[in-house]
Amino acid sequence: MTSAVRARGLSKSYRKWGRTRAFGTLKSALLGRSLGAALVPSEVVAALSDVSFEVARGETFGVVGPNGSGKSTLLKLVAGLFKPTSGELAVDGKVSALIELGAGFHPEISGRENVVINGVMLGLTRKQIERKLPEIIAFSGLEDFIDEPVKTYSSGMYVRLGFAVAVHVDPDILVVDEVLAVGDEAFAHRCLDTIADFSRRGKTIFFVSHSLVLVEELCDRVLYLENGRIKALGDPRETLAKYRMDVAAGAGARLATEHRKDQEILLRTAAEGGETALRAGETSAQRDAAHFLEGAKGSDAPGAAAAVERADSHTPFKENPPLPDTSRKQESQQGVDQPLEQKIPPGPDEKARRWGNRAVEVTGCRLLDSSGAERYAFRSGESLTIEISVAPRISTADFVFGIGIFTPDDVCVHGSNTEIDGFLPERLDGPATARVTLPRLDLGSGTYLVDVAVHSRRETPYDYWREACRFQVDSPDRNAGLYRPERRWTFAGAVSVSAR
Amino acid sequence: MLKNLAGLWRHRALAYVLVARELKARYRGSVLGFFWSLLNPLLMLAVYAVVFAVIFQGRGAATSPYALFLFSGLLPWNWLSTSLTDAASSLTTHGALLRKILFPAEVLPLVAVLAQGLHFVFALPVLLLGLVLGSLGTFGPRVPLGWPLVQAVPLLVLQGVFVAGIGLLLAALTVHFRDVKDLLATALSLWFFATPVLYTLAEIKQERVRAVLLLNPAAPLFDAWRDAFFYGRWIEASRWGVLLALACASFLVGYAFFDRLRDSYPEAV
Repeated sequence: MTSAVRARGLSKSYRKWGRTRAFGTLKSALLGRSLGAALVPSEVVAALSDVSFEVARGETFGVVGPNGSGKSTLLKLVAGLFKPTSGELAVDGKVSALIELGAGFHPEISGRENVVINGVMLGLTRKQIERKLPEIIAFSGLEDFIDEPVKTYSSGMYVRLGFAVAVHVDPDILVVDEVLAVGDEAFAHRCLDTIADFSRRGKTIFFVSHSLVLVEELCDRVLYLENGRIKALGDPRETLAKYRMDVAAGAGARLATEHRKDQEILLRTAAEGGETALRAGETSAQRDAAHFLEGAKGSDAPGAAAAVERADSHTPFKENPPLPDTSRKQESQQGVDQPLEQKIPPGPDEKARRWGNRAVEVTGCRLLDSSGAERYAFRSGESLTIEISVAPRISTADFVFGIGIFTPDDVCVHGSNTEIDGFLPERLDGPATARVTLPRLDLGSGTYLVDVAVHSRRETPYDYWREACRFQVDSPDRNAGLYRPERRWTFAGAVSVSAR
Repeated sequence: MLKNLAGLWRHRALAYVLVARELKARYRGSVLGFFWSLLNPLLMLAVYAVVFAVIFQGRGAATSPYALFLFSGLLPWNWLSTSLTDAASSLTTHGALLRKILFPAEVLPLVAVLAQGLHFVFALPVLLLGLVLGSLGTFGPRVPLGWPLVQAVPLLVLQGVFVAGIGLLLAALTVHFRDVKDLLATALSLWFFATPVLYTLAEIKQERVRAVLLLNPAAPLFDAWRDAFFYGRWIEASRWGVLLALACASFLVGYAFFDRLRDSYPEAV
């Protein structure tokens, strides 16, 4: 037999024992019905359904999936803690589960005594554990505290001792569940070294983690679970790519909804008069970030200056119906002179997020992928297009479109505008859109914010939207940083490497 | 079930370390440590000796000296009641173990019974001291002291098995009905008065009351303890048979119930 774990049509359902039911059933069970009948669950929740896979001896097998996908249930089944509801599960060899380290430590007694008890609980004989005791204590690095009661330990020490015992049980199959999330950096490295060492010694490892980078690094094959079913199984690179894509799609859908809500808020302030917005803009525009959008020194063309003056001198026309047809629609629907929205004073947040004299108004901002579909989650290296929709209140030949990409802590990743990129404005007399495409989004994982603006060539903001959009980037590398370019390594001299 | 029952012996090492842990943990941090196991019953005996010699005088000759009479029944009763209380909550208090480690759940209630059993054994020298003093007439009428005392050893085993069965049943029930813990306190005090600890069945004159009290499965056991410790009488073979049957029945029923619900513990605790 070469497989260490073999599952065929494995299913697990949890029974729901209602909280309020308990007392009632005890009473009624005692009064009439049999106690056995009272203990039959009423509701059943499927955690795993029809899962089949095989793990070869010596293989490192990864399990990934979103929360609630059944990973932990599968792990507990393999560890023998739970019994499958149906299906077959054959586990060949001694299993040690790093599910919760130090489970069963008694706070009142010493670390040394707890190690002995924990070892016996994990299936060692007392003789074996006595022999391994010095090694375990050395591994935990707790020589100075080993005779103190465990209740005096820090949580890190607790976990270290638990880990030390669990790996010295010398299992054939090691089940690891997110243990690396606890403890400090040094401990995490030690854990990884130990796991790698296990793997070298031909042990089977069953590895559950949310750290996809780790899974890709350690595992020979990966199982991707979703809603208790197998979504993908096989090569780590392919399986994890699939998982990442699904996560991105899920995040994208969520971000798109958020984006729409956000745009509504920003558009609500669109009908607002230019004066207050302009005043707010004077202070807000001073923030460092803004200079990317407005920083390109406009030419001293007299036409441009005239256009600005015209825009400024026309501020009274804010009482006229604003140009965007959304406001007009509202008017006709409500049958009143002023849209209701106009009376709602914008919150301080909204004011700071949008400023300008509105000579040209931004009416929308969307992010598109290479196929032109709207999307707010991207993978590193994909193409990103920012689309700005504008509507001028007057015809103008003095306009600059600008975009800026920021991190949530306001580090500017990139800023650019049509002026910098060498475009001369000619005319803008009606609703229009401008798109800028970044063919390769070589960014590290994280959330990014997009500012869009339209302003005059002399930096007078017409309409500046701060954080008009946000998008997420997922990158397959760990610690990629903000910039994640393509890399090519070359080696020369007395060095030799091979591809993993 | 039979397979699991046979496997019980394999867990003796685990039971051993857990019992040792219970005892160590209990006395960790107290100055006198293990001596409390001796000192507690000694103080208890002293209190009873004073109370019944000075305050409540003049009980029947059959139960005199009453302090020793009471003590010889109260020690095994304390074992019974404390182990049942501990066993009932053993699975719920050690829930983390059942959920996180592959762990034979039945060990937990058994450890509760064994650990309390050891406290009982530690208290026996005090009872013995009392009996020696009693045989010299220190507490009033002399009590017989002799070989019937050795009957305590099989009685110890029989009570252990008897209590373990009830403990397993209560532990399994408590996992699903937390109310059991509260009910148990009341049930135990009722059971205490129904069991011949404060009195002997021979004292009860009304036949009907006696017949009802005899239905109590603990009654034969405590009668036996009395005979071994206080009266110095040999227990007839037929009574041993009853005790053995009761212990086995209790254990098998308790274990069967426990085993039936076994798979639900990791999820329900």
